[in-house]
Amino acid sequence: MEALTWTGSLGTILNPILSIAVLLLAISVVVQIVLSFFAPAITLQSNADGTLMKRGGALGMFEQATKLFFFAALAIVVVYIVGGIILPYGMLGIVGAMSKQFAPVWIALFLTFLASIMFKRRLGLYGKLFDSVIGMIGFGLVMFWVFTAIFAGLFDLIATHDPLSQISGLKNKLPGVALPEGSEGKAPHYLLGGDNLARDIFSRMVYGSTIVIAIAPMATIFAFMVGITLGLPAGYYGGRLDTILSFLANLILAFPVILLFYLLVTPEIVATGIPSFMAAFLFVFPIVFFGVLLNSRYYTQPTKRTPMLILVLGALGWLYLSMISQTGTVLDFLPPAVDLFDIAPGILVVFVSVVFVNSPTVFRIVRGLALDLRTRDYVAAAQTRGEGAWYVMLWEILPNARGPLIVDFCLRIGYTTILLGTLGFFGLGLPPESPDWGSTINEGRKLLLVFVHPPLPPAIALLSLVLGLNLLADGLREESLKD
Amino acid sequence: MTTENKYDGPILEIDKLSISFFTRLREIPAVMDFSAKIMPGEALGVVGESGCGKSTVALGVMQDLGVNGRIVGGSIKFKGEEMNTMTPERLRDIRGSQIAMIYQEPMASLNPAMRIGKQLAEVPMIHEGISESEAMKRALEVVTDVKLPDPARILKSFPHQLSGGQQQRIVIAMALMSKPSLLILDEPTTALDVTVEAAVVELVKDLGKKYGTSMLFISHNLGLVLETCDRICVMYSGEAVERGSIDDVFDEMQHPYTQALFRSIPLPGADKNARPLIAIPGNFPLPHERPEGCNFGPRCDYFEEGRCDSQVITMEKVSGNDRHESRCLKFKEIDWDAPPQVAETKEKAPPGQVVLKMDNLKKYYEVAANALFGSGGERKVVKANETLSFEARESETLAIVGESGCGKSTFAKVLMGLETATEGEILLDNKSIGNIPIEQRDTKTIADVQMVFQNPFDTLNPSMTVGRQIMRALEIFKVGNNDAERRTRMLELLDLVKLPRAFADRMPRQLSGGQKQRVGIARAFAGDARIVVADEPVSALDVSVQAAVTDLLMEIQREHKTTLLFISHDLSIVRYLSDRVMVMYLGHVVELGTTDQVFAPPYHPYTEALLSAVPIADTSVKKKHIVLEGDIPSAMNPPTGCPFQTRCRWKDKVAGGLCEKEVPVTRTLAEGHQVKCHLTDEQMTEMEPVIEVAAE
Repeated sequence: MEALTWTGSLGTILNPILSIAVLLLAISVVVQIVLSFFAPAITLQSNADGTLMKRGGALGMFEQATKLFFFAALAIVVVYIVGGIILPYGMLGIVGAMSKQFAPVWIALFLTFLASIMFKRRLGLYGKLFDSVIGMIGFGLVMFWVFTAIFAGLFDLIATHDPLSQISGLKNKLPGVALPEGSEGKAPHYLLGGDNLARDIFSRMVYGSTIVIAIAPMATIFAFMVGITLGLPAGYYGGRLDTILSFLANLILAFPVILLFYLLVTPEIVATGIPSFMAAFLFVFPIVFFGVLLNSRYYTQPTKRTPMLILVLGALGWLYLSMISQTGTVLDFLPPAVDLFDIAPGILVVFVSVVFVNSPTVFRIVRGLALDLRTRDYVAAAQTRGEGAWYVMLWEILPNARGPLIVDFCLRIGYTTILLGTLGFFGLGLPPESPDWGSTINEGRKLLLVFVHPPLPPAIALLSLVLGLNLLADGLREESLKD
Repeated sequence: MTTENKYDGPILEIDKLSISFFTRLREIPAVMDFSAKIMPGEALGVVGESGCGKSTVALGVMQDLGVNGRIVGGSIKFKGEEMNTMTPERLRDIRGSQIAMIYQEPMASLNPAMRIGKQLAEVPMIHEGISESEAMKRALEVVTDVKLPDPARILKSFPHQLSGGQQQRIVIAMALMSKPSLLILDEPTTALDVTVEAAVVELVKDLGKKYGTSMLFISHNLGLVLETCDRICVMYSGEAVERGSIDDVFDEMQHPYTQALFRSIPLPGADKNARPLIAIPGNFPLPHERPEGCNFGPRCDYFEEGRCDSQVITMEKVSGNDRHESRCLKFKEIDWDAPPQVAETKEKAPPGQVVLKMDNLKKYYEVAANALFGSGGERKVVKANETLSFEARESETLAIVGESGCGKSTFAKVLMGLETATEGEILLDNKSIGNIPIEQRDTKTIADVQMVFQNPFDTLNPSMTVGRQIMRALEIFKVGNNDAERRTRMLELLDLVKLPRAFADRMPRQLSGGQKQRVGIARAFAGDARIVVADEPVSALDVSVQAAVTDLLMEIQREHKTTLLFISHDLSIVRYLSDRVMVMYLGHVVELGTTDQVFAPPYHPYTEALLSAVPIADTSVKKKHIVLEGDIPSAMNPPTGCPFQTRCRWKDKVAGGLCEKEVPVTRTLAEGHQVKCHLTDEQMTEMEPVIEVAAE
């Protein structure tokens, strides 16, 4: 088997066209910027028939040209992707082969966008996202990795090899290297080459996404539960409670994050059980949150409330107990028969640390929003009809703070992703052979001067996911302000 | 450079101006076919309800429509120069130097990080390139002109150190710094208290005369326009419907909308039982749902099918009057002098027994200097309510009148149980509730005393359906045994406030201001409230909606024999609907009596000033002119003696400086009429009525 080139046989035709398009695009952008310094300002020209003058002249022409070249370049990129799926393996080289592997993701993305754009007027804020190009790009990037994680993690698609198995002879081999005779795999090549332990970099990158996509949103949700449950009363009551809670939040924020992580994963500290106790403390907040949420709403109808509370609190309580009870830690009290699952101790520590450092920031945002919203008349109306404080906080204030919170949620998943990468990079928490992006980058870093290709794919993956989350947050913020 | 060039044509000439906003769904025409002409020294008032496009016109003149707004037709000529095609440089030149604009919110137009003097001096320094010392000199002059005390100190202070009224004066001073030829005022006094508003309006009028500035005065308040302007333009749904001189439009109106507008505002002589207000039926059309033909058609009494809704209607000249035009096909046929069809007159419900009694109620707040360790340090006492005593009877309307900071909201909070009284008692059916916070009150008491809030856009939770919110109140008040029963009751409540039942499943954002306020009323009556505190329930609504909501309140009151505590600063509406009036100033009740007693002399000096400050949209009303000096003192630092002595014009009539030394005792002048003042009975009887309606 021959090694794959980047773009295969068809690439010899497509590559020059793409280079020309990109070059022209670059030139026209530069010219447009230079021209805009000299061009006359836009003045409104309202014609008698109600039409408006468009900007003409040289600047207008280059504006058109920029658009044209951009779409030309985009079209060629689409050809690479679609060609890779349709054409036989190898015709479009590594790019085509990767595109073929990602085929389920492309299809899922296409269907999501198609459905969302068709019904965007009926989908509220989510639908409005599809009016903003920035938001759509962000959403596309995020969903790309979400679908990748789902297909790879649940259906074992996309990846070509096992992320942990090694094939001898492929150590540090360049992208497109062919497998030696007799070795197994869904593709006859290591698409993005092999790492220093002769594992497939492409598959490791794909499996790395499952870890990030599983941990980051969950950890962020927990951080939000903690932040909301503490931030609402701080903002609503104010006074001494607020002063004390804000002080504690500042205290946590003032502590160096990395140092905190190092402390938390130190075996001696783990042995004292501090991470387990922290988990026991932090994970109790969702139960409190949902319990209070339902009780404050339905306490006037006990026949409805009691079964609902029993059901929800029972389920959450069981999950909570299974989560904190881990074999091998200080908190190991649940018999294995009722213990639903065990989390790898490393992951639990990562989870706890991420929740711990994120919740103070969420607390501050929620507190600020509550401080503002508590002066509204509908809050006063709720108070004057004798509603309890928690009803006012959770049903009158919180739903109206959702806009900024959703935006922050997206941004915070991004931070968490970076944080996970950082933790992996320092080798904290996760096992060393784990394919998560941070660990992989760190491993590749060691031989960076000799082999550049191992750390790049996970780095680009991390970058694109965080970029996507930030753009998504931007788009959401922008669209939620418009009406 | 600006005032020198002689130009004697019209200062501003707007011709067939159309402005649209472009949203992601559609183009929304905000202003259509708007024409106006302002001659030098003339003041044009633009009146209309919110959303009619009056502010858009002002922004269009400034060429400042934002990203979405665009002028789609017509021309704006400033001193004969077309503004639509001006370069940004030329526009920058004109803005601020030849056209100045004053906005509603003074704090928003001042830079909070810059001293007043520097902000003012910036204007001529940029536009005329004069030196800083010269600019500061002019700033001092102008600040003296806007009648601010101690101008030198004001120039050195920051905006937040001034009160709202003073800030607005600074904004006016800034507008006048470069002696503009045109001043655009966009609701300049809406954010201010009535007595302060009167002083600012007075100032604007005087300055207009002094500097010879033309003015474009935008307001929703007809009375204010009557007092300030020479000409008026009435707008409805993006179009000018009538324009002419003040006298022509006020006395010989030629458009059904103008007529309906005047009939829906409480002028002296209106009475809730004998001569009720006539609300304009229906709702203001949304900009993209305007009807064919006449925009006002669907709400017009004179509507003629096939005629009013079939053609484009243009402005027609009214013969005989100077530049008086109307956008109505039928204005020549309508008999404008015909008296309005009087709705059935209603029987006044006799007041029943006393339900609510305040006895020497006091509410003091302690303000600690240190938030973390509240127990130590310096403490200040804010006396929000001082010895409040009054009674309210069943099916009676008691109006509580006063400006911001007078303690009416604190009183409402204590009554509702959100705060507890410092001293004194509140008796509800002879049961003391003044010291029971709301958590400890029983459901019956809570349901009995309910509140209607001021701001319709704030009164409903934006993320819960209307029906859900009313049903929640029913749940809390333990009405109904299950959801089905409560839903039925909720629909009945919607019927009660005359809203369609389909509204139950709508979100508040889909409702107009008046509709939201109706939902607020329905929610307050969910537990069959017997006492309803209405905190300025209509002040944020448009005039045409105000009448309808007021009438609704009156009707529910008649049916349910509710005691209504109507908090307001608008004396016109208070006179219209209340049985008794209580005037408050800085926590004190300064006057209390029946409506007739309070609105006729003898007055408390503050009541007198309040009456004079309220603009009345009737040319036949003659008002005595009393302008109060200064602002309302802070409750943190009240004056010694009588709370009103710092602004009272009768103060020197009292011998021995008594006003500054002692708080006057409450005296009874006539049966049920009490006043807190040092003036003797003789001096009181000498007072002349403030408002006189000229005999027609």
